[in-house]
Amino acid sequence: MALILFAARRLFYAAILVIGVLVLSFLLIRLAPGDPVDTLAGQMGGMTEEIRAGLRSEYGLDQPTLVQLGIYLERFASGNLGYSYFFNLPVLSLILQRLPATLLLVLTALVVAVLSGTTLGVLASRRPNGLLSQFITVVSVIGYSAPVFWTGMLLIILFASVIPILPVSGMTAAAVSGGWLLDSVDVAHHLVLPAVSLAVVYLAQYSRLTRASMLDVLGSDYVRTARAKGLEERKVFFKHAFRNAMLPIITIVGLQFGNLLAGAIVVETVFNWPGLGRLAFDSVLRRDYPTLLGLLFFSSLLVIVANQLVDVCYRLADPRIKAS
Amino acid sequence: MRQAIAAFITILAIASAVAAPATAQEPRRGGTLVMGQSTGTTSFNNAVGSGTGIMVPGAQIFASPVMHDDKWNPKPYLAESWELSPDSLSMTLHLRKDALFHDGTPVTSADVAFSILTIRDNHPFNTMLAPVERVDTPDAATAIIRLKHPHPALLYAMGPPLMPILPKHIYGDGRPIKTHPNNSKDVVGSGPFKLVEFKPGDQIVLERFDRFFIKDRPYLDRIILKTYPDSQTSILELEAGRLLLQPFFNRVLELDRAKTNPQLVITNEGYAAVGGINWLLFNNKRKPFDDVRVRQAFAYAIDRDFIVKALHKGLSKVATGPIHSGFPQYSPDVTKYSLNLKKAEELLDAAGLKKGPDGVRLKVTCDYYPGDEDGQKRLAEYMKPALKKIGIEVEVRAPADFAAWAKRMATKDFDISMDAAFAWGDPVIGVNRTYLSSNIRPLVFTNNAQYENPKVDELLDAAGREPDAAKRKALYGEFQKIVTADLPLFWLTELPYHTIYNKRVHNPPTTIWGTASPMLDVWLSEK
Amino acid sequence: MFARSPVAVCGLVLLVAILLVSLIGPLVYVADPFDIVAAPLSPPFSEGALLGSDQQGRDVLTGLIYGGRATLTVGAAAALISVVIGITIGAVAGYFGGTVDEALMRFTEFFQVLPSLLFAMVLVTLFSPTLTTVVLAIGVVSWPGTARLTRAEFLKIKQYDFVAAELAIGARRGRIMWKVILPNALPPLVVSATLAVGAAILFEASLSFLGLGDPNRMSWGLMIGSSRSYMLSSWWAVTFPGLMIFLTVLAVSLIGDGLNDALNPKLRERR
Repeated sequence: MALILFAARRLFYAAILVIGVLVLSFLLIRLAPGDPVDTLAGQMGGMTEEIRAGLRSEYGLDQPTLVQLGIYLERFASGNLGYSYFFNLPVLSLILQRLPATLLLVLTALVVAVLSGTTLGVLASRRPNGLLSQFITVVSVIGYSAPVFWTGMLLIILFASVIPILPVSGMTAAAVSGGWLLDSVDVAHHLVLPAVSLAVVYLAQYSRLTRASMLDVLGSDYVRTARAKGLEERKVFFKHAFRNAMLPIITIVGLQFGNLLAGAIVVETVFNWPGLGRLAFDSVLRRDYPTLLGLLFFSSLLVIVANQLVDVCYRLADPRIKAS
Repeated sequence: MRQAIAAFITILAIASAVAAPATAQEPRRGGTLVMGQSTGTTSFNNAVGSGTGIMVPGAQIFASPVMHDDKWNPKPYLAESWELSPDSLSMTLHLRKDALFHDGTPVTSADVAFSILTIRDNHPFNTMLAPVERVDTPDAATAIIRLKHPHPALLYAMGPPLMPILPKHIYGDGRPIKTHPNNSKDVVGSGPFKLVEFKPGDQIVLERFDRFFIKDRPYLDRIILKTYPDSQTSILELEAGRLLLQPFFNRVLELDRAKTNPQLVITNEGYAAVGGINWLLFNNKRKPFDDVRVRQAFAYAIDRDFIVKALHKGLSKVATGPIHSGFPQYSPDVTKYSLNLKKAEELLDAAGLKKGPDGVRLKVTCDYYPGDEDGQKRLAEYMKPALKKIGIEVEVRAPADFAAWAKRMATKDFDISMDAAFAWGDPVIGVNRTYLSSNIRPLVFTNNAQYENPKVDELLDAAGREPDAAKRKALYGEFQKIVTADLPLFWLTELPYHTIYNKRVHNPPTTIWGTASPMLDVWLSEK
Repeated sequence: MFARSPVAVCGLVLLVAILLVSLIGPLVYVADPFDIVAAPLSPPFSEGALLGSDQQGRDVLTGLIYGGRATLTVGAAAALISVVIGITIGAVAGYFGGTVDEALMRFTEFFQVLPSLLFAMVLVTLFSPTLTTVVLAIGVVSWPGTARLTRAEFLKIKQYDFVAAELAIGARRGRIMWKVILPNALPPLVVSATLAVGAAILFEASLSFLGLGDPNRMSWGLMIGSSRSYMLSSWWAVTFPGLMIFLTVLAVSLIGDGLNDALNPKLRERR
């Protein structure tokens, strides 16, 4: 019951947060120099002043900023995210079209990173000064230190010319569908390099953090008590230590959902992956305000959902924190 | 076993060698042409927008009154024939009677009249149809274009990238045409292909229109336009044989790389009418660029041969003046500039720009139009070391995005900037805008050098109305002589546009409009 | 303790070497990294370009020597901003709890739910790409992680007996927060702060890679960003600057690891 109340309260805050994010980004974006109509004019090879004025009034850009904000929020409330200036299509459908690609990339990378990262971290913490531990530490530090786009570029150089066994760009090879099975294999084939590039960074971070956190917990009174009680070492290690050591990992995974989305901007740019990240990058450069706002809204929504889940997990995992 | 496989492979090889010539000669129906794009398509309605992202698919979906061959000759398309009145003031188009829009309604003169007026009033190239007074439609198959004054550019303005014939019953419903919903979905034209799928920024699927008015055309079943914002991806996809045709490609390193691939062919045919040139724009209203000696000093310090040979790997060409060398109006008889640092320094000294104790005479900022790496950014970056040699310190102002650059151009907030423009078939359409004093406007892609020369205005106006081709050419020759001496801007190179295609592609589009015209004869052989 | 960790010593040596090259290098080896010195895209070991030249014919080695200053400055400054904001907010929230915690966490979430890179891109575009805007943008968007971690540690440690003991003897809040809890919260925070320096360098590189770096200040990120579309023709022009970024972040991370081991009192007890 407490949990439900807690969740309801969080939901209320989340709604306020989303509106806050919308208002802040709306105002921030409106501060930017340059005019989206200029971008459109360039795209179309120039434009007469009358046409520009017409477009401005059609998009409501000739209104005061606060009026524009009001109109935007009002439409938003009825589920209308507006039309993209650039594509002249509903923002919602643009985003929904790109969302699956990004979710696929980000979730694959996340699962790979969490599973292998925590495994490596736990292994390293069993013998903190052992050879394996040192090795894992070094490998994970290397993984963390390499810029994600650099890893991606090296992979492209490698797989484009030296060993051309994996596709280095896009999401599908065949322009025409070859049935769901072939299509899935094709997408999976294209997914390997982008997902690996994105996962490596987080894998490294998770293994470092798991190791640090495990060592921390293993040295705590709590575990020493368990040991003193004569519990089997294996049980102490996994049941008591691992469970507690996971708390910071859970925090970080929730946190990093946002970072993962940001990482997707770079990875999608490097590998030409047709997802939200690339749409976001293009929208910044094109001053496509409605799309950018829609994206900020969507990604914040994703992060909020992820954070809510994390908070619930956190409470379930650590009995010492009570739902207040 | 190994021998058996070898034998089998040999048989296969012979079989395919025997089979190949038989299929290579006859055009084959069917197949999907996967084509690359570097800029994403935002709309398919090329009546109200320009740019390759709109014109290439637009020319497949919409048919135009005429087409052109690779020698600048007009050919029948929706118009079976046409004639110009002796006073050059009216152009009569005799339309085909069997042309249908994709929704099954016939194409009539009312659609033609509607389209021409829509283009005149909404297209960004406002000089293109400005002389059109009205369009008369005596019957469903005849349209008469009435002109205020002779307009020789009209025959090019009626070509596929510039004059799509829109169905009046759809686009004439009163909704604003620039943002009409049917510009990007459920698009209806009368061209050889119809739109079946549009994933913005990713891909466009066009399918053969079975009731297209030219019998047995097109050969292709489908055209897929994939967007590759990154040219290295295009080249990898071409090498893998997944991408079959990449037009408007101007990335020199990838072109260089494609040359060595036996599966790929590269050609610079098909861009004659595009006429792209890039240049260094001087802010003629700002000191010291108001002094022609200073502008000329820049021209003598910039090594265009280095740009062409080293930066562009010999794939571009030095631009000698305002008109592309592929145009009938081009004249080589102009003031020429080549690297001469001594002369450059003398000119600057004479203009009163002496070297300071640190060796610097002048500090300038240099902007560039974002989006064309080889044609813009690299040349802007080249200005820094090149002009340092004559004591000019250049700070490259990276535009954060197009809007930021466009604003600097529109508000004339720049010293020098890289810039470029396409001519699109006739100087009236794409060249005049950069030099006419009446076109000094707070807008990007106008006369942003703020160049004013009454003689030039007069020449361009006269040339725009001159029906006689030889006299017209002479007027443009005079114009080219004057601007190359005045040097309001300094032309660097003709843009190195090329098409890369797989050997499976036959009859690649090589007319003056290239892929911005309908791909009726293109066909694919088996793998 | 720190000196006993060979990995950490490696990191320190590496960092000192990079600092020497970046700070002293330009004084010893005088050149303009923007000058054209060789044919564009000359491979390594070419005449006049030991590590090759980029697409403009600029020397990659000169770029590496001159590009370090900008990269390191951005990394250090942005990390400092981020860590200071993060620890302050996290500590206050974790210690006081209740409404203060609630308010500060809402504020943190606010920054957290905006995708940091996109947010930074918007900021940099807004104020035009210069070193200062890049530093501020990175600092402003990257503190929430540190704040959350600090808060989590404070929440945990606050409940330990020795904190209760301090409270019982009537210690002041400031003392408990900064002298009692913070030192005990340090091990993960040191890791986090180390990561922040590395992350800021990586962040700057990402922005430059996406074309939002300052084009008139040579930096390793700028080198990669400007040669990015030529990587298949000139692997050296992206690989070497990337390697420098990698080595710098690696050095900083190794040092962080060493510090972590040295500062972790529980780990020490166990040995």
